[in-house]
Amino acid sequence: MDPAPARYAIRIHGHLGATVLSAFPALVPRWRGADTVLTGVLDRSALYGVLAEIEALGLDLVEIHQLAPQRKSPESGDSRSP
Amino acid sequence: MDRAKPQLINRGDLLAALDRATAKTVTIISAPAGSGKTSLLRTWADRPGQPYRLAVMQVQRDQQDAQQFWLALLSAVRQASAATGHAEAPAATPDFNGRAMVDRVLSELASQRGRLILVIDDLHELNCPDALAQLTRLLTNLPGDVHAVLATRRDLPLRLHQLRLAGELAEIRAADLRFSERETRELLDASGIALSDAGAALLHQRTEGWAAGLRLAAISLAGRPDVERFVAEFSGSDRTVAEYLIAEMLERQPDDVKDLLLRTSVLDRVNGELADLLTRRAGSERILLDLEDANAFVVSVDPERTWFRYHHLFADLLRLELRRALPEEVLALHRRAAEWFIQHGQVVDAVRHTQAAGDWPGAAQLLADHSFSLMLDGQTQTIQAFLWAFPQGADDPELAQVRATVDVVQGRLDEAAAQLAVAEAYAETAPSDRQRRLQVAIASLKLSLARRRGHLAGVTEQVTFLAAPVTGKSAEDIALGNDLRAVALMNLGIAETWSPLGLEDAERHLQKGAALAREIGRPYLEVGCLAQLGFASRIHSLATARRRCEEAIALAHRYGWDAEPIIAPALVTLVGLMILTGEFDEGERWLQRAGQAVQTDTGPDIRLILHMAAGMLQAGRSCLQEALAEFSAAERLQSQLAALHTLANEMTGWELAALARLGMLGQARVSLAALDDERASSGEIDNARAVICLAEGNPSGALGALQDVLDGTAPVIGDVTVVEAYLLAALAHRELGDQRAANRATEHALGLAEPDRLVLPFAMTGAGELLNALPRHETAHAALLTDILDVLHGSSPAAKDQSPRPQTEELSPSELRVLRYLPTNLSRPEIASELSVSVNTVNTHVRNIYAKLQARDRSSAVQRARDLRLLSAGPTR
Repeated sequence: MDPAPARYAIRIHGHLGATVLSAFPALVPRWRGADTVLTGVLDRSALYGVLAEIEALGLDLVEIHQLAPQRKSPESGDSRSP
Repeated sequence: MDRAKPQLINRGDLLAALDRATAKTVTIISAPAGSGKTSLLRTWADRPGQPYRLAVMQVQRDQQDAQQFWLALLSAVRQASAATGHAEAPAATPDFNGRAMVDRVLSELASQRGRLILVIDDLHELNCPDALAQLTRLLTNLPGDVHAVLATRRDLPLRLHQLRLAGELAEIRAADLRFSERETRELLDASGIALSDAGAALLHQRTEGWAAGLRLAAISLAGRPDVERFVAEFSGSDRTVAEYLIAEMLERQPDDVKDLLLRTSVLDRVNGELADLLTRRAGSERILLDLEDANAFVVSVDPERTWFRYHHLFADLLRLELRRALPEEVLALHRRAAEWFIQHGQVVDAVRHTQAAGDWPGAAQLLADHSFSLMLDGQTQTIQAFLWAFPQGADDPELAQVRATVDVVQGRLDEAAAQLAVAEAYAETAPSDRQRRLQVAIASLKLSLARRRGHLAGVTEQVTFLAAPVTGKSAEDIALGNDLRAVALMNLGIAETWSPLGLEDAERHLQKGAALAREIGRPYLEVGCLAQLGFASRIHSLATARRRCEEAIALAHRYGWDAEPIIAPALVTLVGLMILTGEFDEGERWLQRAGQAVQTDTGPDIRLILHMAAGMLQAGRSCLQEALAEFSAAERLQSQLAALHTLANEMTGWELAALARLGMLGQARVSLAALDDERASSGEIDNARAVICLAEGNPSGALGALQDVLDGTAPVIGDVTVVEAYLLAALAHRELGDQRAANRATEHALGLAEPDRLVLPFAMTGAGELLNALPRHETAHAALLTDILDVLHGSSPAAKDQSPRPQTEELSPSELRVLRYLPTNLSRPEIASELSVSVNTVNTHVRNIYAKLQARDRSSAVQRARDLRLLSAGPTR
């Protein structure tokens, strides 16, 4: 298990508004269809912190994806910024 | 749990499922936030005709203190079991023994009648490492008619495989809790919302049956004319359900309610006064009560409905909204809340909010002022969690004393010493109003640390000012001062028991400490003082010492501390006393119990006495090898201590005697020579020297060694030494052929041993033949002699009668005079002539004595008189 920071994309069902997003200051949000994808660099502790926050706020977690390093923001599609 | 809200519909199927589930030993309800777990439990608990008793507890937010969790659980169990509904709150201890606590809970569960269900809500908030393991042990050992229901947001590592395999584990999960479409319609109906079937279906679909979502929707829909449009808009939005509906709900509230909700979201619990303070408005209590009536997210936590709590999810979202909408207010709100909690003496909340306000120096000072009290309240782990929260780097010197307190309690003595040094350096430069309290705290910690390590030389002089009362300004000052003073008196008294000259001071300080502790309601300290008081009471009589030990043990039992280290001193002392009076079997039983209570953190001094007592037992039973092993172990512990223990000479003397009696004379001589002059001239070592001489076949040498003890010039620890000396002298006289001198010496020994009933010296010196050789008419202590012979032949004297006997009438002075002759072999006419009265008078007195002492015959009368210590006034010292 490599505890070093890595880039993660975390997909949550529903569009997160400003209020809930303020709980994830280290992550950049993008809306993708009916979901929100939060992207950012997190080490393991930070990752579990994010998961705990998702649990606490009752959010609907769809997917966690570790991205290859140095990758730019995800490709096009129907992504819009909130 | 309070009464169910009207909006909490009766989810009949789900309740039935819960009924079925709770037929099994453990039921786990595991579902995410807002699934309706707590509401389900509440409805289930409150429904009419609930056949079982429930012990309900909700784990506090982010509970990092295992002891606090268990105390709350125990309290809930007691509340459920109590006939009247008012149960004694469990008492806290500074250190925490998880295993003993689980045992306590199990024994209380076992002693109650009928089916009981333990309900633990919010179990995921339990954030201390060992607590889950302890809980697992509880759950896998529940008595037959005790069941448990646990509610949690996520699956927890509770290793309940056994229960699962046995089919005794039931689960209710998120899918089970989801509202069905029918239940959705019922909820809407119960809230008086006239939504079409299509609308209800849409709502159900959008929320996916999530309870929190549906309830929030119901709040927004209630009293609204355009319900269909609302649901359509809601359905068409992509926003997360919670955010959308919370925003809607907040928008519909009047400004003052919205303001209250946002501002009070920083609190874990709120009452009207606090809310008024944070909103700078009056009338908050009314708002809170209305909120509770209107929805399920605000609940009161006490029957009087003065304190309220928000649903965690609700509060979390409100808090985020507060941060977004009024960011500049957040710190100020925490500060104001902290001040309120300080004024109301709720230290833990005060510290939490002071830290949240970013006021680290303030938090440090609060902790420094209250760490003793918090420790005594059993919140040591809470203190530790607070310490961890301080930012790295900037190290506030006020915290050094707090760290030292936690380190001492948790047994990290080196770290504690380092922190104490920092605290001392700071105390010298601290502002004058803080100095006194700091000094007292530091002095008390020093003593506690020194006691654990046995480095007591010179410490007591430095800290004698501890005994003086702290003069404070406010009631709070005095309360803090009292806690501190009680701890200080206890530590001081314990330190003073170390020196034989300090026993009087020790007794005084320990009694003061116990009285103060009783007054301020600190049972832990009271037990701590009384536990050591027995040992300090040796300066009086062994009977007093024994009585005090038994009182301490009884008090400890009342609080469930039978096996805690705090009571170890009393247990160990009691064992020693029993062995001294020849109660070997009883003493052995208590020795095992004492062994359990003695752990590494009670200090080497207590373990030393334990080994000594064990050695005494073995020596009394003539198991010399085992005795030697125990005395040697005690000797090794003594060498770890910087100062000589009070009983050191006795211990060494008996070790040397054991060596001599085993024939290891060379080793005995060598060890004897190694002692310094002061020790070598003590009575105990003189006795050992005599034993060695006797073993070498040199009775005259033995008599020479005993000279100083017998004429009273050698310092002795107590009468035990002198009795032993007389017996050794008797043995020497016998070897030299002087039977009369031997008899005289033996009689002296008996006389000295009578008041305290010291049997051990006779057993250790193998005095059987001496006693047998003593003509009955030459002794005034025939009864004692007979008893001692019984012990030597292996039968323990009858254990002290534990049953409470009715009060005996007092004997008159003439009856007492006759009583004193009963243990002798004088016949009644002989007694009459000694007292210059008629035989009839003596007969009358004897009849009355038997009646008042409830005795059948002479020997039981003598025994009873001895128990009551009526024979002690003999001029034999």
